[in-house]
Amino acid sequence: MTVQNIVVDGLRKRFGSKQALDGMSFTVDAGRVTGFIGPNGAGKSTTMRVVLGLDRPDGGTALVGGHPYRTLPRPLTELGSLLDASALQPSRTARNHLLWLAHSQGLGVRRVDEVIELTGLGSAARRRAGGFSLGMRQRLGIAAALLGDPRTLMLDEPFNGMDPEGIIWMRGFLRELAQQGRAVLVSSHLMSELQDTADHVVVAGRGRVLADTTVAQLRATISDGRVSVRTDDPNAAAALIAAGAAVVATEPGTLSVTGLPAPAIVAALNARQVVFSEVTAHRATLEEAYLELTRDAVEYRAGEVAR
Amino acid sequence: MTVALRAEWTKLRTSPGTAWLLLAIVALTIGVGAAAAATITCGAAGCPEDPAKISLTGVQLGQALVVILAVSSISGEHATGMLRVSLSAVPNRLRLLTAKALVVTGAIGAAGLVAVAGSFAAGRLLLPGSGFTEAHGFERLSLSEAAVLRATAGSVLYLVLIALVALGLSTVVRETAASIGLLLALLYLIPLLTQAVSSPSWKRHLQQITPTAGLSIQATTKLSSLPLTPWQGVGVLGCWAVGSLVLAAVVLHRRDV
Repeated sequence: MTVQNIVVDGLRKRFGSKQALDGMSFTVDAGRVTGFIGPNGAGKSTTMRVVLGLDRPDGGTALVGGHPYRTLPRPLTELGSLLDASALQPSRTARNHLLWLAHSQGLGVRRVDEVIELTGLGSAARRRAGGFSLGMRQRLGIAAALLGDPRTLMLDEPFNGMDPEGIIWMRGFLRELAQQGRAVLVSSHLMSELQDTADHVVVAGRGRVLADTTVAQLRATISDGRVSVRTDDPNAAAALIAAGAAVVATEPGTLSVTGLPAPAIVAALNARQVVFSEVTAHRATLEEAYLELTRDAVEYRAGEVAR
Repeated sequence: MTVALRAEWTKLRTSPGTAWLLLAIVALTIGVGAAAAATITCGAAGCPEDPAKISLTGVQLGQALVVILAVSSISGEHATGMLRVSLSAVPNRLRLLTAKALVVTGAIGAAGLVAVAGSFAAGRLLLPGSGFTEAHGFERLSLSEAAVLRATAGSVLYLVLIALVALGLSTVVRETAASIGLLLALLYLIPLLTQAVSSPSWKRHLQQITPTAGLSIQATTKLSSLPLTPWQGVGVLGCWAVGSLVLAAVVLHRRDV
């Protein structure tokens, strides 16, 4: 029997009048990057804090490798995490920050130098971490998460503050970690940051899971079957309606067609010898899929202020 | 536990402020003690001063820096959020607090020992020049005298206990400035206000329950005039230290961080 790397089951947590977690449940499996996506306030960070035993849930359980995090004897060798890249003492050097963390797990200075190398911190590691850019702090946070060579990684918004070069590095790095057989959970409030990185997505909103699926499936479920047809032929609409489609002229020379798949549309147009220049099946982008899913779960939205 | 202890020690040692603070504790304590020993004079036989206590005067100022070091060992983590990183490395909160307390005890114990030994040496050297001579009825300050040994060793213990009170209370308070303010008020403002209490019995009761009651460990003469005996005074401070740490443990155990 395989033990899932992280199992979050029915987590509930209330902060004052706000239900931060409302039955959050999902698993994080080995060998893939799981994206944890949702608007601000969806409960992503709270879930991660509960997994680490920092916040106590009102109900539900969170297990890491089958055990509550608090009971792990050397937790960083099981789960490496990065919640807040700025959570360090600014006057301490990056290397010394990693050194005390290493000592807390019974690891030595050699492992510290390894993760410095691995994350490309290089000579900056001997500088005070307080002077680091957010991007450099993220690298330091990743280095800290990797210290214990854990089989599970959990990163909260690791792309924040990174320059484009850093983002590309981070994407490749996360994929590589998953290819090594590790489970990687990465949160983001932007789908675009994860669409080339995550294999699996858990979409959260208002403290619970809205969708738990693969990236490809998420795209497919939202795709609404609209097809655009570019043609100047006045008979086009009639030909398509005769074939059983619903047609709307969206702009001059373009028809939006529903009710017929693209190959059937091409066949219908050819049968009536209608000339067309383009037939495009409309595919929802992941961003659109995500917005569709979370539409009702967004907590703060422009316009609501006026209510 | 040993790995948590080692991590806390690495943390303290690699914080650039630590070495300076420990050095300042030693310098300030010896400096003030030496200044007191050089300037407080005994003109004739039977003067009321307590020479051992004079030489250890610097402890009363050194404790302020002890408070700053102990408070920053935890409140800095609260301020930056590093406490979450610490707890993800050492999830057992009681273990983390214990490791911090032991490391602070070790650092302040060592610095306090040097500071107090230096103060004693300065007193032994300077007090005869200020009139604390055999002609005026004072032996040269010596550790072979039980009361002097108790005052000196007890001053080291006093500084360690003050550090533990500071660690405990700042764990509860979280905020650096508020914690230091609270501790300095306990150590300086309350004793000052106590002086203004007109009722002698109230005054005595207040002096018996504040953390600075522990300073009675420094007294070597006229012990009967003290609000508490030397060891009772340290006992009161010890209760403050234990109480603060227990409160800190309970709060830290329950709190979401």
